[in-house]
Amino acid sequence: MLRVEALFVERGGRPVLHGVDLTLAPGRTLAVIGESGAGKSTLIGAMLGIVRSRSGSVTWDGGDLRTAYPSLVMQEPRAAFNPALSLRRSVMEPVRARRLELPDGRIGRLCAGLELDPGLLDRRPHEVSIGQAQRLGILRALIASPPIVLFDEPLSALDAVTQKHTASLIAALQREEGFAALVVTHDLGYAAAHADDVVILRNGRIEEAAAAQSFFRAPRTAYGRALREAALALGALERIA
Amino acid sequence: MTLSVTGLSVRRAGHTILHPTDLTIESGERIALVGPSGSGKSTLGHALTDRIGGGRGVVAHAPQSPDEALDPLRTLQFHWREAERALGLSPDPGHQSDLLAALGLSRADLTTRPWGWSRGMQQRFVIAMALIGAPRLLILDEPTSALDPVIAAATMELVDRHLSASSTAMLLITHDLGLAARRAERIWVLEAGRIVEDAATAALLARPASLAARRLVAHRNWAVLPC
Amino acid sequence: MTALVDVLLRAVVVLAGTALATFALLWHAPGDPALAIAVARYDAVVPPEVLDQIRAQAGLDAGFWSAFRHWITPILTGDFGSSSVSGRPVWPDLRDAIALTVPLALAGLAIGLVLSVPLAVFATRRPGGWLDRSTVAVASLGAAIPAYWLGLLLILLFAVHLGWLPAMGAQTAAHMILPALTLGLGVAASLMRILRSGLLEARGQPFLPALARRGVARNRIGRDHVAPHAAVPVVTVLGLELAFLLEGAVIVEVIFARPGLGSFLVQAISARDFPKVQAVVILTALLFVTVNLLIDLTYRLLDPRTGSRDA
Repeated sequence: MLRVEALFVERGGRPVLHGVDLTLAPGRTLAVIGESGAGKSTLIGAMLGIVRSRSGSVTWDGGDLRTAYPSLVMQEPRAAFNPALSLRRSVMEPVRARRLELPDGRIGRLCAGLELDPGLLDRRPHEVSIGQAQRLGILRALIASPPIVLFDEPLSALDAVTQKHTASLIAALQREEGFAALVVTHDLGYAAAHADDVVILRNGRIEEAAAAQSFFRAPRTAYGRALREAALALGALERIA
Repeated sequence: MTLSVTGLSVRRAGHTILHPTDLTIESGERIALVGPSGSGKSTLGHALTDRIGGGRGVVAHAPQSPDEALDPLRTLQFHWREAERALGLSPDPGHQSDLLAALGLSRADLTTRPWGWSRGMQQRFVIAMALIGAPRLLILDEPTSALDPVIAAATMELVDRHLSASSTAMLLITHDLGLAARRAERIWVLEAGRIVEDAATAALLARPASLAARRLVAHRNWAVLPC
Repeated sequence: MTALVDVLLRAVVVLAGTALATFALLWHAPGDPALAIAVARYDAVVPPEVLDQIRAQAGLDAGFWSAFRHWITPILTGDFGSSSVSGRPVWPDLRDAIALTVPLALAGLAIGLVLSVPLAVFATRRPGGWLDRSTVAVASLGAAIPAYWLGLLLILLFAVHLGWLPAMGAQTAAHMILPALTLGLGVAASLMRILRSGLLEARGQPFLPALARRGVARNRIGRDHVAPHAAVPVVTVLGLELAFLLEGAVIVEVIFARPGLGSFLVQAISARDFPKVQAVVILTALLFVTVNLLIDLTYRLLDPRTGSRDA
């Protein structure tokens, strides 16, 4: 169980996150939604210990989150890989770093789940499509069976069709593997389709936190309603007439 | 008045990016050009602008990112005056404030350089600037991708209102059929440099003929809300 | 504003450091400074009493810090003191030397600019074309050739073989041509390479196609958008270019036997004439600091992103 309590982060003397609280159980998906500058990426950085927080705690089952080896899927699929290494080497990095024994057939099973040809692993990052690169990024994030995966705008570099396809592959793997997923996104449509809970972040504060179903039925805050109307106006969500 | 172009094509480094294409756009029509990434959507937008000639005020093009539209070393006012001069117009502060107000930028400071504004404001400034010469066709390349959803929706609404008041046609370039369906009455589906389907929006959503269109329609929305 | 104070403070530190370092270098050079002064002044070996007298005059007898204070105090009020060799005030001689060197340096800079700017503009119209490639080749060659060798080649060609131009001295304006050309070719070679990369980068800016689609005329795009972007790296290296000019002018003056800052400095160093050497060094440092200050300000004007932290 992920528990973020009273997380407070400052940058250059200005508060970026003012006391953020979150919880996330295994097998569940939490969408953290907000506009640029709301503090979404800072939140991920602070959870991973890349950004220093001034106060607050981030724990998994009571211990430091970092000792649970959370993994990260980044926004720019190709930039997430070392261009000089084969994709196999990059994908296996979490296994090598922790000297884990990989169960037989693990790569094959994950590749099948992500609809990836295992032959792609012998290529370099620039020799695969963006959509494939992002699925390889997900493969790397899942290879060592982490209890929790952090996704930082995982779909925004992909086109609309690829986005929906990739999101459904992630959801299917989550049902099999049982990891908790924290997804930072500005895409309400994704959250409506795949999240169990949503948190609306605005100016470093939690504006609204709710079960996804109740949020999309009736947002409680004005900003939540504006987000929902925007998603409808942009065709990310559709009303039943 | 109808705009028509025949045999529009683009080859780059021996590869055909856009196969010879004939296009017609009616006055005031709203068309969306939809297709997966790499299908040649932006290339078509550029080629169409270059063919008709942007300088004469017939067609105006707003690129996907403000970085592709604004010089970071020049003030926003400089860009505006430059665009007016390029169209052979004399400075018209009244028209300028009307257009900026139409895109929700009425109180913005134009003496600053682009990076002094948020990307959302820059993007709306670029669209406002595209409307200076009252073009017959406005090409918007992924206008919402640099914007947060609330601002993106407001921007599309403002553009819509402005276009309704004039007889300007719009070509909306997007990978997102959901957006296209909300904003256009006619849809061109582009795949691998060819327009594989050209249909009225309702007809395309109901009966997509090509494989590309069927894929787009199947993945049109994320979710349907009961409301 | 704080940035400006920062820049000024840095300038003061550079000046103070230069003064101290130069003084220390001369002070610790091998040999007795008083003896060197005596030899330079009287051209003979002098009795010990005279050496003591020289030491007392130049403040050499009371140790390093005393001698440094002795020398720096009047300079701070704009008085460069008198030559420890001839006893004549430093400033009039130095002023004459500067009056000979500055026109040479400016002529060199002008030749460099006149040669490199149009060439760079034309060569980068077609990157990788024959003009571009040959310009790059010549510029690399030019940057690799030392000034003393180039100077000798020019003397051989124009003074010895063709007999068109005088090679030695500074009597007439014609005497300036060969030294200025030597200097200018070197400047052109180094400017050329910077201009070329600056122009290529400026021509690749992502917003340029949109300007053309907006109907902005080609020459206006060049003047209003490409030129400022190309100028940013050029202005940045102008400070280095100034160092090259001064260093080059001193060498070129020696090759062409021209009076000026070069011979002034060489004579002062060999005579260990502290006040003269120090005056040259301090003025040079002051010039550098001022020029770099101006460059910094120009840079901020050209690209205001430099000054703002949020950008």
